[in-house]
Amino acid sequence: MPGPFAGFKWLALVSDWSIFAEGFMQTILLSVLALTLSLLLGIFFGLLGTSDVKILRVCNRIYVEFIQNTPLVIQIFFLYHVLPHAGIMLPVFVVGVLGVGGYHGAYIAEIVRAGVESIPKGQKEAAYSQGFSYWGAMLHIVLPQAKKIAYPPLTNQAVSLIKNTSVLAMVAGGDLMYHADSWSSNTLYYGPAYIVTGLLYLSLCFPLALYARKLERNVEVTS
Amino acid sequence: MKKIYVLLASLVMMVALLVAGCGSSDTKPAATKSGVSADVKAIQDRGVLNVGVKVDVPRFGFKDPKTNQIDGFEIDLTRALAKKILGDEKKIAVQAVTAKTRGPLLDNGEVDLVIATFTITEERKLSYNFSDPYFTDGVALMVKKDSGIKDLKGLDGKKIGVAQSATSKKAIQEEADKLGIKISFLEFGTYPEIKTALDAGRVDCFSVDGSILFGYLDDSTVILADRYTPQKYGAASKKSNEGLAKMVNDTITDMRKSGELDQLIKKWDLK
Repeated sequence: MPGPFAGFKWLALVSDWSIFAEGFMQTILLSVLALTLSLLLGIFFGLLGTSDVKILRVCNRIYVEFIQNTPLVIQIFFLYHVLPHAGIMLPVFVVGVLGVGGYHGAYIAEIVRAGVESIPKGQKEAAYSQGFSYWGAMLHIVLPQAKKIAYPPLTNQAVSLIKNTSVLAMVAGGDLMYHADSWSSNTLYYGPAYIVTGLLYLSLCFPLALYARKLERNVEVTS
Repeated sequence: MKKIYVLLASLVMMVALLVAGCGSSDTKPAATKSGVSADVKAIQDRGVLNVGVKVDVPRFGFKDPKTNQIDGFEIDLTRALAKKILGDEKKIAVQAVTAKTRGPLLDNGEVDLVIATFTITEERKLSYNFSDPYFTDGVALMVKKDSGIKDLKGLDGKKIGVAQSATSKKAIQEEADKLGIKISFLEFGTYPEIKTALDAGRVDCFSVDGSILFGYLDDSTVILADRYTPQKYGAASKKSNEGLAKMVNDTITDMRKSGELDQLIKKWDLK
């Protein structure tokens, strides 16, 4: 009797493997670009958050609070469905990179800020007393130390980011989840489709998670 | 490193167990003394017929936001089936399904039947039992009035929004191939999302079965006159529930012969 995992459904999936491969590639490309954007945004806004100038810190708070306290799905819907009414028609891939990258940028900003703030004030003051400028002190004294603390949570953000690219399925984004939805709902062979899709996401995220754990252990040893 | 292997091995085993467990859970229907099959008997013992219906398709299955009542042609059909199986048309429990959830809900037994503008296809028949069609509809196209598009030919090079799990994609693609025009498809999870995408200009056309499309018609949009590839709706049940499938099919056949089905179609003003 054909259950949800009947053999012929697996065979159908194997013969349509190129659909899943296409989605997988799209998800990887999307993740890489979104991660790059989120790192740039995160480092920029994170450093704003540690600034001595109040207005810069306010900028950091507005960005972080606004992004962290609204659902990613709404942000994506806004970029995809609302902006066209204002005459801005971003391609869906750009919506994905901006949406997911911007979303995780806010989390990374908090990680960067926490990393910098965890370095004792004395370090910076000592650097100043040796004649370092603000940027000199940051670049040579504070950031190298903060980096070690910020690395493990950053890797976890990368894992979350990869998984969150799947929201693009809701706006026909052409990513892995979209193709899994599309294929499984056309054929109704949802059993194999979602298992394979899950394993593909696992194959991306699991190595990263392991790497994060290794980094965490490294921090333990040195501290 | 060893730990990782253990972890991976246990993962693989978990998946294997899951697959095996679900694969063997089907039971063969056995006839009982009373002459009804075990699957029908189970529903009678429970005393209520669980059916998955649409709640966002006006006149087929629609939840009225004012009264919170779900009603429509397919709900009436559900009532008629409950009357046949349980002797009381009120003994139904309907729950909302979408294109994506109706398959799994049948497989895990949460609903006995899905009567939700479910188009019969050969591929789907491998997974579920379908009754003979109780309604035939055609795929239609909705475009913005100001786009000036008059027919499928006018959609050359355009994007068409379709619903996941809908057969309209295949139907329109075949027609487009005949005309020798190029179109692309974007798939969305729900109908309102496609309408939003049409309003936003993300897609140039909203295509789904005609009767469903009428629920989304407004001042700025128009439905083109052409209809493509008849879509036959059937009541679906789990593949192993053969007794139930036969009973449903017999009931629908009887309703067609007695004219009851036509009356319902007339009642809900369906063409």
